Amino acid sequence: MDELTREFLIESQEGLDRMERCLTDLETRPGDAGLLADIFRSVHTIKGTTGFLGFARLEKLAHAGENLLASLRDGKIAADGEVVTGLLHLLDGLRSILKVIETDGHEGEAADEELIEQLKALQTPADLRVPVHAQAAEPDSGFPAAGPPAAPADSAEQPPRPSEGNPPEKSLEKFTAARLEAVPSSTSSTAESTLRVDITLLNRMMNLVGELVLTRNQVLQATSSDSRMTMLSRRLDMVTADLREAVMKARMQPVSNIFSKMPRMVRDLTRTLGRQVRLEMEGQETELDKSLLEAIKDPLTHAIRNALDHGIEPPEKRAAAGKNPEGTLRLRAAQEGSHVIIEVCDDGAGIAVERIRAKAIERGLITEERAAQQSERELLQLIFVPGFSTAAAVTNVSGRGVGMDVVRTNVERIGGKVELESRPEKGTTLRLRIPLTLAIVPALIVRSLNQSFALPQGALSELVHVPPSEAAIEWIEDAALYRLRGQLLPLVFLDRLLLPGVAGRSTDARDQFIAVLDADGRHFGLVVDGLADPEEIVVKPLSPVLKEIGLYSGATVLGNAELALILDPGAIAQRAGIGMGGEDETFVSSDVEGGNEPSREFLLVETGGRQSAIPLDRVIRIEQLPVSRVEYIGPRPVLNFEGQLVQVEDAGGMLVSGMRPDDPIIVVICREGERQVGVAVAHVLDVAAGGILFQAGTTRLAAGVTLLKDRVTGVVELGLVAPLPGQGEPSNELAEVMA
Amino acid sequence: MSTSTMTPGGHASRRRKKTAITQTEVCSVRLGEGLFGIPIAHILEIVGGTRPLPVPLAPGFVGGLVHYRGDVLTTVSLRRLLDLPDREGAQDMLVVESAGSCFGLLVDSVSAVLTASSADFEANPSTINDRRRALFAGAYKLENGLMVMLDPERLDPLRLARAA
Repeated sequence: MDELTREFLIESQEGLDRMERCLTDLETRPGDAGLLADIFRSVHTIKGTTGFLGFARLEKLAHAGENLLASLRDGKIAADGEVVTGLLHLLDGLRSILKVIETDGHEGEAADEELIEQLKALQTPADLRVPVHAQAAEPDSGFPAAGPPAAPADSAEQPPRPSEGNPPEKSLEKFTAARLEAVPSSTSSTAESTLRVDITLLNRMMNLVGELVLTRNQVLQATSSDSRMTMLSRRLDMVTADLREAVMKARMQPVSNIFSKMPRMVRDLTRTLGRQVRLEMEGQETELDKSLLEAIKDPLTHAIRNALDHGIEPPEKRAAAGKNPEGTLRLRAAQEGSHVIIEVCDDGAGIAVERIRAKAIERGLITEERAAQQSERELLQLIFVPGFSTAAAVTNVSGRGVGMDVVRTNVERIGGKVELESRPEKGTTLRLRIPLTLAIVPALIVRSLNQSFALPQGALSELVHVPPSEAAIEWIEDAALYRLRGQLLPLVFLDRLLLPGVAGRSTDARDQFIAVLDADGRHFGLVVDGLADPEEIVVKPLSPVLKEIGLYSGATVLGNAELALILDPGAIAQRAGIGMGGEDETFVSSDVEGGNEPSREFLLVETGGRQSAIPLDRVIRIEQLPVSRVEYIGPRPVLNFEGQLVQVEDAGGMLVSGMRPDDPIIVVICREGERQVGVAVAHVLDVAAGGILFQAGTTRLAAGVTLLKDRVTGVVELGLVAPLPGQGEPSNELAEVMA
Repeated sequence: MSTSTMTPGGHASRRRKKTAITQTEVCSVRLGEGLFGIPIAHILEIVGGTRPLPVPLAPGFVGGLVHYRGDVLTTVSLRRLLDLPDREGAQDMLVVESAGSCFGLLVDSVSAVLTASSADFEANPSTINDRRRALFAGAYKLENGLMVMLDPERLDPLRLARAA
């Protein structure tokens, strides 16, 4: 395919995407001249270029569409539902021809007569409309096929409209020749200020910027003695940081690129399903890395289908329940720290937890006793299990039970998370938490064999220090095991795995660390010699020869310019012969199954002389830092944690005066809904499984306490930490779950 | 070495030997006592003083990873290829282009860029062992000794891995 045709295809696709957006808007604002002008322009551009490139079929169809649009523009007909449907058909017709051109290089043979007839028929005002035929010559003559220069002449021929009282007509009236000329020129200027860039070039730029950052680091170290050079290298430092940000930005695209496809989909689906739905979109300007944007398109589409099919009820049912017959579907995107949050929120019936419970028992996913003990939140998680669907009927839109598991898999594959909230009769919110970029992965740097290795934090569940004195590691024949809270954890020694020659058990004489990993459904401990700081690493691919080894997923350059291999936890488990979770009695393989456990794990801490527990799944990191790092907004202590403002909860009075700026304090950084909260503690004591306490005489969970090591221990209620002003609405979900 | 007409980047080969005398620019490198040469046309860059990161479980000839212009480059250690003991300290690296990708070739030190004449070229002698015959492309007779030519294609890590 030649360059010109390719260019034409890309441009036309973009034009049609824009047209699709405008068409769905047109239905709500039928008189909007600007929208009409936009649609007209898209079709007109295609028609103009096709004639030049010799695509006769495309030209004919575009021409027919243009005639209809001309009638609309001239106010001869109004943009009612039927006309919009016709125009959407036109859009689909044009798209399918473009697709044929893209694959075959020519436009194919199929006939578009039917569609062209339909478009012609629509040119008659709605009240006079007769099925097909009649009306052919008149509108055709009204708009010659010659292209833009003819357009003003055409409009000039039209006598000025006499009617003034009719507002929609009046706005159409304003759509004059002058406007048709003026609008295209304004868009051409935006076209001139943008440039298409090959994504591989951007990737290369990103790489080189990374290189520049490292060179800068070395320059900064080398020049610290010379004051003049120090100044210059500082400037280099700043420019490099700005450049890096700019290149990162070049890869970002607004979420509107995929949001804009949704109005059409929602429109079509609501018609098929017989729903009345208003779509609200928010935060379309939020930006995300291009590859990630592609990756969330399918999960998002799926979530919307689900919301329309299972979430929002049919109008009669809504009216009967005293709701507005028209449902609302809200798509919201927002950036929060290093993540982008995308929410699909409906005001439908919500998810019937009882149905999930019944279905799960029926499918044998959980036992009845267990189901009775589980909280609603835990039961909700079951809809992410493959094959789970509560839809009473299978429709062609959804309900086949493939879906939510795919949504979760796709989102987790790109390092994201899916959260679900539902309230009966109030609606359901599905929240996708997507990292800003794919290329950067949080990792823990570990030491072994006198070199550094990066361990992706996604697989890491906890770290255990094994002092040399204790005989903590036990053996069954050649298999090393560690008693982790009473259960045996299989161990893999990284040095022995990587240097098979060095066997033996004589390594117990030094400090060792066990990184407890969950990977591919395998649970094991990786024994390393040392731990370094966590780092955000940039993944670099390995050459095929080294990929074949199978244990490394890439390499990275650390902050100190040292190289490190990135370990693949799943491959290590496999190589070391660690069994899958199912074979291993002690192991709980995923969140969903984890939800089946009646007990949860807690971080046991001491604050102000008494013990408290923090749910372990909410703990992000435990930081020890000088007290001077804690700053204050008014009376509230806050912490700058990785560029995010984190409020510090100080129930135990750890931060009260009498500490010197250098005194260390321990802050447990926790996740609470969409924000992060720090908890100042005196000591971190242990991790332990907490039993659930039931209130005497009821099956209600006792709020805020848990049974830890047979002692009733208070749970730190992160949800009660009031958010900082301007941090969004208070999140009280935890309080609700526990109530 | 002669100073007659030069074809920059020209590659001396056995076939041309009998027809016309051609000149080749060769980068000469030191390895222990030996002098080796690589046609400069295949060399992208010479990087001095590298300290490669060892890759456990990698094939023996792999000298480790070196960070090069934002990429992580797999290196081939000439010492290991020739069964010489590893050397302490930094090594020089030639960035060699081969079959669309790059790899690093680790040597003790880069010596000089010479212009070698095909008139001084001889094919591998029949007495050297098969493994070396697979790596060497012949030798130039220089005034102060022999310079053994290495063929970049044959040093490509993928090819070496397949041969192993």
